[in-house]
Amino acid sequence: MATATEIGIAVLVLIGIIVSASTLVLTLDLAARVQRIEETVAPPPLTVIGPWSGAEMEAFLPVLETFTEETDIEVKYRIYRAEDLSPLLPAQFAARTTPGDVIFMWAWFISEMGPDGHALDVTDLIDEADFTTGALDPVKVDDTIYGGSYTGKVKPGFWYRKSFFNAHGLTPPTTWAEFTALLDEIADIDGIVNPIVSGDAVGWPLSDVTEHFIATYGGPQMHRGLTDGAVAWNSSQVRAVFEDRLVPLLEAGHFSEPTEWTAAVDLWWAGDYGLYFMGSWITGMVDDPTDLGVFSLPGATGLVFAADYFFIPAYTQHPDEAKQLFQFLAGADGQEVQVGEGGHIATNLDVSLDAYPAVDKGVAEILVGKEVLLDLDDTIGGDFQEEFWTQLKLLWVRPGDLDSVLAALDAKAP
Amino acid sequence: MKIRKSTIIVHIIAWSVALIWILPFLGVLMAAIRPFPEILHGWWNFAEFNPSLKNFVEAWSHSSAPLGQGMLNSFLVAIPSTLIPMFVASLTGYGFARFSFPIRDYIFLTVVLIMALPQQMIAVPIFQIMTSLGLVNNYISLILVHSAWGLAWIILFMRNFFLRLPIEIEEAAKVDGASDFKIFYKIVLPMALPALASVAVLQFMWVWNDFFLALILIQSPDKLLATQRIPLMREVHHVDWSVLSAASILVMLVPILIYVLLQKYYIRGMIGWTVKG
Amino acid sequence: MTRRKKITSLKNFPLFFSPAIILIVFFVAYPVLQTVYVSFFSPTEEFVGLGNYFDVLSRKEILNVEGFPKWPPLGALIHNLLWILIHLPLSMFSGLVLAVILRDVKGASIVKSAIFLGMVTPLIVGGIILRFTFERGVGIVNAFFNVLGVEQLARTWTAYPETALFALIFGSVWLWTGFSMIIYSAGLATIPKEYYEAAKIDGATPFRTFFRITFPLLKPMTITVVTMTILWELKIFDIVFVATRGGPGWASTVLAYQMWLYAFRDLNFNNAAAVATFLTFLTLFVTIGMIRYMVRR
Repeated sequence: MATATEIGIAVLVLIGIIVSASTLVLTLDLAARVQRIEETVAPPPLTVIGPWSGAEMEAFLPVLETFTEETDIEVKYRIYRAEDLSPLLPAQFAARTTPGDVIFMWAWFISEMGPDGHALDVTDLIDEADFTTGALDPVKVDDTIYGGSYTGKVKPGFWYRKSFFNAHGLTPPTTWAEFTALLDEIADIDGIVNPIVSGDAVGWPLSDVTEHFIATYGGPQMHRGLTDGAVAWNSSQVRAVFEDRLVPLLEAGHFSEPTEWTAAVDLWWAGDYGLYFMGSWITGMVDDPTDLGVFSLPGATGLVFAADYFFIPAYTQHPDEAKQLFQFLAGADGQEVQVGEGGHIATNLDVSLDAYPAVDKGVAEILVGKEVLLDLDDTIGGDFQEEFWTQLKLLWVRPGDLDSVLAALDAKAP
Repeated sequence: MKIRKSTIIVHIIAWSVALIWILPFLGVLMAAIRPFPEILHGWWNFAEFNPSLKNFVEAWSHSSAPLGQGMLNSFLVAIPSTLIPMFVASLTGYGFARFSFPIRDYIFLTVVLIMALPQQMIAVPIFQIMTSLGLVNNYISLILVHSAWGLAWIILFMRNFFLRLPIEIEEAAKVDGASDFKIFYKIVLPMALPALASVAVLQFMWVWNDFFLALILIQSPDKLLATQRIPLMREVHHVDWSVLSAASILVMLVPILIYVLLQKYYIRGMIGWTVKG
Repeated sequence: MTRRKKITSLKNFPLFFSPAIILIVFFVAYPVLQTVYVSFFSPTEEFVGLGNYFDVLSRKEILNVEGFPKWPPLGALIHNLLWILIHLPLSMFSGLVLAVILRDVKGASIVKSAIFLGMVTPLIVGGIILRFTFERGVGIVNAFFNVLGVEQLARTWTAYPETALFALIFGSVWLWTGFSMIIYSAGLATIPKEYYEAAKIDGATPFRTFFRITFPLLKPMTITVVTMTILWELKIFDIVFVATRGGPGWASTVLAYQMWLYAFRDLNFNNAAAVATFLTFLTLFVTIGMIRYMVRR
């Protein structure tokens, strides 16, 4: 049996932990509540709801400030991620109310709400020709546009260190033959483990590379077809993309085994690998972004572009001001402020290349004249996405299993 | 006294096993206190060695997935999820110990069966119940489920404890006219403190370490618990191995501290509910 | 056990029992029954009997018949069985051996604490540590095999279907051995010293003593360790979720993980319910064995 003292100490320790933790929690909760009360006092005319917090929010607020300067319309920003909004909005809309006047949300959600009358028809507010090809398709239903496309992140292709390329006399390829020759050259460099490092996370870095191959050598048409189920994974055209392009590279050892994607950045930067396929956010992940260069697979006509979308709920109390803000966010003026903060690429074609920080300019240039595509597995989601991820991880280390991989994808495809 | 050869061998084996066992933890610790580029080719390389707590700070207040908030959330869930079943189960355990029931074996059977259940068995209906009650993303849902889930073993554990308490004091109090409930919380509960400590330690740790129930019931980013943030940090946010290691250490620090401080109660609880049944 | 003493006059019956009953009925009993019920119906609420069970058992990620007799992926069911087959003896015997030899070791409590660390670590963190330990470059496992010159194993274990499952199984041995060690240590402390003194006088070897005296007397602990370990192995989820997500190509998936995928990624609650019920059937099968032993005792 424990002595009374020991029990006493044990209980005291427990109570101590509990009391200190609860005090901490309560204080923080209280602080949060006070803040909330402060926020609700004197409501501004317009409320924008977006997903960004922290540093991303700091990059977004200047856009709203510029709008206020130009129009004298006050704008309040509130943070709600799409995941939190999706259960919330339908109920609010059913009650004919809305938590915001302009809301950033998933494109598919907007295109579902629009025809039901919950989102304002904005077809006349913007001109489709001002936007990158395909950018407004996700929010368009039968020629009626229900939302605007903002800026976003692009998955442009393979990144390299300019200093590394210069040191070894390498140049970005312009043809498939040059690309494979480049890989062979890199493979022969001392200290190189594989020419391309493959990032491993839940599965997305591999799926991004694969989509780039599909969009380039199968064309944007095939990419869209696979996304909406019009094209079968084990059809001969799709198989050809894998058999002729991706699998030979895997078999030749040009791709590394899947490596933790954040570690892959450092290893690639340190010279263990020559190329890394990543989205435009890589500029924020390396020590010296000015040393970054990027090229798409030769012949690419379409790129995956994860743009943000926004809409005006039909129940806004200030439709005129909301429309003004909508046009500002969709227009070149608003997007120029955002891309100037770095890390974002505009969907509005009137945004000048000079508006970009030097590191993003390369990506913006690559996008010129390209068709934009939705991320394939994010769009389909569900169990297909899990299957896609796990099968690609298998393909990466067992390229010979292509048949079973494609069969498995076909079985789960939409 | 001459040291026998076998004694030396046994010591060598025991200590090497301990060393092997601690290696993975050591690796994570090394990763956590050093900048990641230093350990790119193994944490055992000490060509450069600049230990700091920077990674811990970054993990704690990461801009898009702050672990500090997750730890607070975990406390917010784990404390009530420990206290509620502790008291509810003590009541019931006492009832079982002091009532004359012909069904003792059935209770034991039920409890053991509940302990055998995988959480997957309740996941979907729980999700549906909580959705219809509007309690998804609300800690109340998680606290209720954890409480109910922990009840079975705590009832059994407390019942076994109460059975060993001398009944005479309670009978004397009863003669003095005290109510059943008063006897319970004035006399019985104070005597049960060591058992309650074991229960608290084990239950708190299980709730703190739980991932599956939280995964199902809590989805909103600012409400995620500490354990939920770990996989997110690895897969989605730009967090390198070093910061991730620091985050992992922070999350495991709480159960380890409890174990170190209250080891006796932990072990007693562990052995009590498994061996003695 | 103490003789049961009774206070038959305990009056506040509902006060003592209703809170627990309410909680258990609403959040354990009803969900369990609901899961069983749902497992017999199609998504359109038609009764399909064992249809969902046949459906999931015919899926590659649950049972990959073509995989035999090769390496994984063999399907979640087989992976769970492999887990038991490898993990149970390894963790049980290392725990037992450690418990036995640590009796005569100086600093045993430190060694025990080091080994027990895995038991208090959240499994989600355990999974991260495994992933880290088996990663090429930063991980020590690969460095170790590199030194030995075994190139086949000097790589990121979790990236290859041949090794992913085994990385997780060995890792879970590392996490779980503390359990059997602690239980056996407690059991050993209950064996009277006289038994060993008698054996010594008879001139029995340490091995003979172990198999004739120690092991038989530890039978209750063995039953506990075997039961709890198998239950733990069947319920494995967190490690798989965080370290491999069941991949590559489902080479390291397990039933509990597959259930989550069906329920919350595929939103097929019926198939998920069938997997959950099947998994519960397996755990009950194990538990009933233990109960029969306990009742006989």
